[in-house]
Amino acid sequence: MYSNMWALYAREVKRFQKIWIDTVFNPIVTVGLYLGVFGVVTSGQQIGDLPYLTFVYTGLLAMLIINNSFSNPSFALVIAKNLGNIVDLQLAPIAPWRIGVAYAMAAFTRGVITLCIALLATVWFIPGLGLPEHPLYFIFALFLTGIEFGMLGVAFGFWAKNFEALTFMSTFVMQPMIFLAGVFYPVANLPSPWSTISLFNPVHHNINFFRYAFTGYSDISPIISLLVILGFSFVFFVAMQILTKKNIVLK
Amino acid sequence: MFPLRINNVSKIFKNSKGQEFKAVDGISLNIEPGKIYGLLGPNGAGKSTLINMISGLLLPNQGGIELFGLDVVKDSNKTKQLIGVVPQEIVVEMAFTVEEVLYYFSGMYGVPRHERKARIKAVLEDLDLADKMHERARNLSGGMKRRLMVAKAILHRPKLLILDEPTAGVDVSLRQRIWALIRRLNAEGTTILFTTHYLEEAEQLCEYIALVDHGHLIKSGKLKDIQQEFSKNSIHFELFDRTAAPLTGVSEVGVEYEYPITSDLATDMAKLTSHYNHNLKSIRSEAASLEHIFLKLTNSGLSS
Repeated sequence: MYSNMWALYAREVKRFQKIWIDTVFNPIVTVGLYLGVFGVVTSGQQIGDLPYLTFVYTGLLAMLIINNSFSNPSFALVIAKNLGNIVDLQLAPIAPWRIGVAYAMAAFTRGVITLCIALLATVWFIPGLGLPEHPLYFIFALFLTGIEFGMLGVAFGFWAKNFEALTFMSTFVMQPMIFLAGVFYPVANLPSPWSTISLFNPVHHNINFFRYAFTGYSDISPIISLLVILGFSFVFFVAMQILTKKNIVLK
Repeated sequence: MFPLRINNVSKIFKNSKGQEFKAVDGISLNIEPGKIYGLLGPNGAGKSTLINMISGLLLPNQGGIELFGLDVVKDSNKTKQLIGVVPQEIVVEMAFTVEEVLYYFSGMYGVPRHERKARIKAVLEDLDLADKMHERARNLSGGMKRRLMVAKAILHRPKLLILDEPTAGVDVSLRQRIWALIRRLNAEGTTILFTTHYLEEAEQLCEYIALVDHGHLIKSGKLKDIQQEFSKNSIHFELFDRTAAPLTGVSEVGVEYEYPITSDLATDMAKLTSHYNHNLKSIRSEAASLEHIFLKLTNSGLSS
């Protein structure tokens, strides 16, 4: 019954595997470069009980999942629209909601694979960092963040008419949201009203929850962050469904 | 049960200024099982819009379409499973090989994993693409890409195969190969509906035709019956010198001329030969060509 959807999922996983240097290793190099710079500049600094390098590292890992999960479906769909092979999705006997889910699952898969490779490649450079403090929360954080931004990527991919629109949203919406979400600093250190505004940034809660799951450090209550993540996941799910249906069955 | 029933279907588009344009206007058509149907019409006639509504890509504004008794809007996933569609535009996956394109696409139609490779091999051999199985689809020539599109549409063994201009831009030998494949699929029980600009192609392949112009269905039925209908009362001829003074009652239809039989065939033939004499290039009273019917209906029948 779901075999059609799984075939689409497998196709999208295969797609990023075909260009793995760009999709998997490129972001890992970026994390490595950030670590190199911050490792030298912030050597010995602390945030609470947490070494600053560990703080930044966990933020960068969360950013890695968010970026990969978002860009996998959004770029695949905009490319499909531009080349015209979106028609494959429109012709196939797969319900629109399953198309959205297949793309979001593939996005999550890319996010997790990239994270695992990045962890294996870079965790050795972070002194004192061991296994996640809260393993169950860590699994939640991985799954929810990957799926949430995968769904947002699907919605953006179907919404964007061309690359310009997608690049605009990535540069002027996603990147500022990620960089102002507390990857590099605790948002509580920001002057008012920015510290309050940051609380409404959904990405902040993903990074906070992920960091808490990994290190036990949290800017705000991890439960609040979890609830916010669930709330935004629902919103992105609805947006994904509406935009997928609109683009699969044309009026 | 009809493989396809189109009941009073209309499709309205709006342009950028908000003006409405009826691309398909109240078309009704039934297609019988196991036949080859040609959907013919000039550019912009509404053929592709109609095909897109049958395929479930577009929603009609009015009327209904049933595939094997199922509504294409309400039961879209079931109806999509029953049909194979070769769209007009050639589109291929950039990253994948021919085999990968077919493997995942047939999976999206529910073809079991263990059957896919054998089916792909058989279809690619049929379409003379077996040696390209491991090549990237984007590196194929235009004709090969067209064949790949056909392969995608038939892998899941549809009951109704819809081809939108399947031989546009392909060379003569490939066209013959696609015709042979269409005939074979039809012989195996697949109902075929295709659009084409090549009237010779429709004459070669179709048992039934439907002529569409300006969104209207202007004629449909058995090709032979329609040809007979348009031939029985007239003589068709061609002239070397087209500037010659015409005989009263003669009208121009494309490159041909038409003369209505007023008394009997022999008398009127004699009248024409004596008037045009050595200027007559050809003269016939047999079945009208599809080109003749097409021009007659699209130039005078509908426009008037």
